Amino acid sequence: MLKRVTRLVPRACQLDPGHFLHGGPQAPQSLAARLDDQVPDENPRAGSHPSEDDPVRTFNEACLMVRRPALELLRHLDDTNFAHPAVRYVLYGEKGTGKTLSLCHVVHFCAKRDWLIVHVPDAHLWVKSSRGLLRSAYSRRRFDQPVEAANWLKSFKTANERFLSQIKIQETYMWNKRESTEKGRPLGEVVEQGLTRVKNATDAVGIVLKELKSQSCSGAFRLLVAVDGVNALWGRTTLKREDKSLMAPEELALVHSLRKMVRNDWHGGAVVLALSQTGSLFTPRMACLPQELLGKEGFDALDPFVPILVSNYSPEEFESCIQYYLENSWLQHEKAHTEEGKKELLFLSDANPGQLERLCAYL
Amino acid sequence: MAAAALSAWLTLQPGTRTLRAFCTSVSPATRSAIPSPRTADRRPRYERPLRRKALPPRTEKMTLDQDWPSVYPVAAPFKPSAVPLPIRMGYPIKRGVPMAKEGNLELLKIPNFLHLTPVAIKKHCEALKDFCTEWPAALDSDEKCEKHFPIEVDTTDYVSAGPSIRNPKARVVTLRVKLSSLNLDDHAKKKLIKLVGERYCKTTDVLTIKTDRCPLKRQNYDYALYLLTVLYHESWKTEEWEKDKTEADMEEYVWNNSSSEKNILETLLQMKAAEKNLEVNKEELLATKEVEEYKKSVVSLKNEGDNENTLSQYKESVKKLLNLM
Repeated sequence: MLKRVTRLVPRACQLDPGHFLHGGPQAPQSLAARLDDQVPDENPRAGSHPSEDDPVRTFNEACLMVRRPALELLRHLDDTNFAHPAVRYVLYGEKGTGKTLSLCHVVHFCAKRDWLIVHVPDAHLWVKSSRGLLRSAYSRRRFDQPVEAANWLKSFKTANERFLSQIKIQETYMWNKRESTEKGRPLGEVVEQGLTRVKNATDAVGIVLKELKSQSCSGAFRLLVAVDGVNALWGRTTLKREDKSLMAPEELALVHSLRKMVRNDWHGGAVVLALSQTGSLFTPRMACLPQELLGKEGFDALDPFVPILVSNYSPEEFESCIQYYLENSWLQHEKAHTEEGKKELLFLSDANPGQLERLCAYL
Repeated sequence: MAAAALSAWLTLQPGTRTLRAFCTSVSPATRSAIPSPRTADRRPRYERPLRRKALPPRTEKMTLDQDWPSVYPVAAPFKPSAVPLPIRMGYPIKRGVPMAKEGNLELLKIPNFLHLTPVAIKKHCEALKDFCTEWPAALDSDEKCEKHFPIEVDTTDYVSAGPSIRNPKARVVTLRVKLSSLNLDDHAKKKLIKLVGERYCKTTDVLTIKTDRCPLKRQNYDYALYLLTVLYHESWKTEEWEKDKTEADMEEYVWNNSSSEKNILETLLQMKAAEKNLEVNKEELLATKEVEEYKKSVVSLKNEGDNENTLSQYKESVKKLLNLM
């Protein structure tokens, strides 16, 4: 069942697979700008690390192994009934098994089919050490995060250029006494406003999400909401208020709007989520199952969802991964291509993709 | 020579005849060379009372079918000459073995049960039989015992040789009862378990009440029975404030009125609305087979936690519900 259409590229050994798409471009089109001799629609990569061990540059291609969980998801997505409420799919699994890359694969697939992608590469970043917390102008109880919001708006813009001019907002939004965006203006203007006036970035994000949600029901476009590390939305934060007391995630405006987005009270698209323990706060290292990471609140909020397990490599997948490394001369050790060497690698990494990648980095 | 001086000093002490062997073995040469002061006993050797040679240990005279309880009738320290077993005990030095039993302090320190071999215990039981009454013939199985006598009371009596026969530890009374033998309905059982807290064991369904707050055993026994009665009656009553029981207080997950139910209802209603099928009502929706399955899978997921089984069950039921198959 392994179509060799695209092949896997591992991340550099220093990075944790969970922290993959760290604030970088998230969609195919943006990649063309960053990487050289690219086939235009490759999967999203975090090109923000220009180190020499970036395999994307090393191999001059970004490849992805097609694996069973992703195929299952893609099949479901193909069969979605867009009149029904959005179905939520949750990818879970142990550390390093490929949840984030499967998510990327799905995003790529939908991008090729012209869906509008709302991609949050790592929700954990929004609840961890962020500077510049402001009181929200829109609601006294919540807090804004201008830096993260601006970053996200930038990547959203590069990802969905086409749609920004097509979609028109349906309400007038007053930013302050002098500036406002009228009804009927394209969504791109809201994004611009958020980018130029960083103070309003969080509100801009909220508006964008709200508009997209209400307009996807009309059927003008298909919406895919892809969030990695979604357990951050219901976990704990390490951000403090002015009086040094810890904040709950609900008090962050970004988290609030994202939570509204992953509810299934809209139709015309799908929601694909991936859990992640690396980067999550106050969870034990061995936790990988949905209830452990989401907690009671998260489970109740996402219920009913379709859980999809992402497991270690099967024997064929392992073979093909090693073949790929060998073909690209990534493995330099002389025993690497022997049967014994392969068995040793299999034993040492236990067919775990992340572990295998780290091992092969030394060879 | 130090050895000669030592032997001279030792022979001066009265009653050190055992050490004479030491002197003779250590330094015969020096002894003959240096004249040491003689002991007061100047009798010739054939007139001195003969010292008994060390007899062979009793173990060599023991037969295989001897009566062991008579060798060790009571609790006694370990006597290496009376125990015919080649026991070694101790931490071995490098390239050595543990120390043998002769003169082994470790074997003396630990308690031994050589006086309680199965043969000895059989003899004790035979002796005690005269003081026992017969077991009732009707109670020949455990289930019958439990059915007729569900409450088990444990008490301990202590006997020791000493000036007083009283022992403060003897006042402890432990009462054990299985909750399945009590007449409790669902609410009463949950309330009882919450009231007793740690004293209830879920795996064996046994409530254990241990009392020692009164000075006498009889008083403690009465108190334990009183506690059981009070618990039983209180758990049957329902107080006003029990209405405020929140979801966090629940012992297990209850599907009705849970957020999961609401979610699924909303989803289904929206799906039906999309298909322009507005005539269905809530009860019908909830009574379908798929929703039943979903309910079961959510309950098992919440109560048992995540494992492969429950998660795959949940996945299948959600797929069926949302028509994703």
